[in-house]
Amino acid sequence: MNILFDIGYGHFLVLAAVLFLIGVGGVLIRRNALIILMSVELMLNAANMTLLTFSRMWGDISAHTFALIVIAVAAAEAAVGLAIVVAVFRGRRNVDVDRLTTLRH
Amino acid sequence: MRMRSLIPIAVLLLGLAGAGALAQPAQPAQPAQPAQPGQPAVIVQPAQPGQPGARPAQPGMPVQPGQPGTRPAQPGGAPAGQPTAAAVKDDPRLNPKPPPHLDEIESTGKGTALLFWAFALAAVGGALFVVTRRNLIAAVMGMVGSFIGISAVYMMLYASFLAVIQMLVYAGAIMVLFVFVVMILNRPEDEPVAPTGRVGQGIAVVAMLYLVFRLAMLLVSVKAPERAMGPPEPVQVTLNTNCDPARCEAAGGRCVTAAANQPQVCRISHEWGTVRAVGTDLFGPGVFPFEAISILLLVGVVGAIAIARPLHEDAKPEAEAEGGAGGAA
Repeated sequence: MNILFDIGYGHFLVLAAVLFLIGVGGVLIRRNALIILMSVELMLNAANMTLLTFSRMWGDISAHTFALIVIAVAAAEAAVGLAIVVAVFRGRRNVDVDRLTTLRH
Repeated sequence: MRMRSLIPIAVLLLGLAGAGALAQPAQPAQPAQPAQPGQPAVIVQPAQPGQPGARPAQPGMPVQPGQPGTRPAQPGGAPAGQPTAAAVKDDPRLNPKPPPHLDEIESTGKGTALLFWAFALAAVGGALFVVTRRNLIAAVMGMVGSFIGISAVYMMLYASFLAVIQMLVYAGAIMVLFVFVVMILNRPEDEPVAPTGRVGQGIAVVAMLYLVFRLAMLLVSVKAPERAMGPPEPVQVTLNTNCDPARCEAAGGRCVTAAANQPQVCRISHEWGTVRAVGTDLFGPGVFPFEAISILLLVGVVGAIAIARPLHEDAKPEAEAEGGAGGAA
């Protein structure tokens, strides 16, 4: 099997895994809360791609519904997370997660 | 510095160009390779008899003249009126004519492979931008490029509805939200990567290596079913019992007998990944999560407004509200 030209399910799964790992790396090494939020979005996308690949593999459309719900949850999470980032920035003038050691303003 | 900020734009343009190429109905991916004698350029999924994967050739989709090899005769892909081994069993109504943009992305062609690598590159490159750039706007733009690439990959998985939703919600709405917050913050990061805590970093590296190892092992052991990645089969939807033939046929379905001694059911087949197929599942078995999502979004909206509201405005409206309540009492 020619791995370059015969695109199969494994390619999509590996792509999703690579995206997920980049997201994990972003959460682990970055200090900016915004970048961490974006990395979390990236991980959710990778999970969605895995869902769709397996949906396609087994011919079950219900994973599409689930992916849609994941997207809605990700939107809600982004809204609340960004609101928290803005609130934190308003009180502390930075969003460096290493310096956020207290829960109060 | 100026050059570096151009790279996410290049990633974005690459994604856009690829999306444009993919949006056109299929032929641009294929003519790259001329038909070689004895070797079909496009490997089409062999039709199993009786399976709806074998579709009648679409009259709306002209085969390009001069390239007879680019679309070889699909097994069982005879015109609709001509009965073949695969088409005999199923009524043509069960295999409705697919829209031309769906059926043409073959997952085994070389052009498709090229597009896949381009989009995978856009997705991974954008993702790498997100975690490596110091400039927040550059990171957001890399994220947009990544989302466009991911959306195109969804399209290759025949998830057309999800691809559009991905483009609208992520690349449209969420990224705009991120850009707004970046503009509100308007402060560069001092040191992007945490240099402190050697022990924690060591643990993180070990954990990531372990995760990579486990994922690689998992992916090696994934066994795909014995099917090629051709066009997916339509989704069969059973609508209701006690089928009324006129109403069922008006909806594009057919009355079939599901089991002996049971009333006939209305069965409709939808194209894989379209709004109809996803919507039928969403409002059928998935209606409870759908309703729960609406509550979650409401809570998210209220929570976001409550959290992000400036603190110094908190006291005044409450005092007025208390005063109003006191006056009413």
